[in-house]
Amino acid sequence: MSTNDYLVLAGTFHGVHAITRTITPRIPVPSPPSSTSTTSYAFPNPGIPATGLEYLETEKFRLTCFQTLTGTKFLLFTDPLTTNIDVVMRKVYELYADYVMKNPFYQLEMPVRCEAFDRHLGGWLRGRT
Amino acid sequence: MVVYSFYIFDRHAECIYKRRWLPRPTSISGKASRPTSEIPSSSNGVPPVFGQSDRTTDDDAKLIFGTVFSLRNMVRKLGGEDDSFVSYNTSQYKLHYYETPTNIKFVMLTDVKSPSMRVALQQIYINLFVEYGVLDSYPR
Repeated sequence: MSTNDYLVLAGTFHGVHAITRTITPRIPVPSPPSSTSTTSYAFPNPGIPATGLEYLETEKFRLTCFQTLTGTKFLLFTDPLTTNIDVVMRKVYELYADYVMKNPFYQLEMPVRCEAFDRHLGGWLRGRT
Repeated sequence: MVVYSFYIFDRHAECIYKRRWLPRPTSISGKASRPTSEIPSSSNGVPPVFGQSDRTTDDDAKLIFGTVFSLRNMVRKLGGEDDSFVSYNTSQYKLHYYETPTNIKFVMLTDVKSPSMRVALQQIYINLFVEYGVLDSYPR
């Protein structure tokens, strides 16, 4: 796949991620008798904010999406049977914070070209297998 | 396990069946534990009482179709032509997907903890859709 294909996929995913959040089913909550006829709604898991797609399973792979507080999305493609994806994701975020965000030559919103990040990420993942 | 809604889309991207199950508000009836089913009818033009306030169920079906269609194409591009997507999770719900070889798409929204519904959707297709939908007026 070319870089253009990846850009198309990234754009598609971005849109789909937003839609998956808006189609969250909402459950009507009984309004107190004092209030007027407006019905209020609750999410199925109250207390947790509605997020977009978090992980996607296909026959051949599993895609985990982690969104940072600032909106950067990390997409991790793994084997469907891989466990402890949260741990991997957390470590990737940590490495990203350490070697990309703390790199004085990295410009925000630009493609990540940081050798130290590549090296540490590769080294850590190899150490796990 | 809770099922929120179920949709069937034909190969022309048309929603040919939709059904939603939402709990009845406790203030209206005393039987809150029993879920009620709501079949949105387009003929009498009654706005949906439950569910999204600012979006109709038709719009919901379109959004869901757009989502599964995009994801299906994305998965095919990444995993190869014979790969197909099974389900996705958000923090609030889980969407299950099954597509027949004739491109009829079955979509079901359940709560996050439900197990894979792929077999169930397949059974709905084989035992219910083919039996009572496709072969309905077929001489037997």
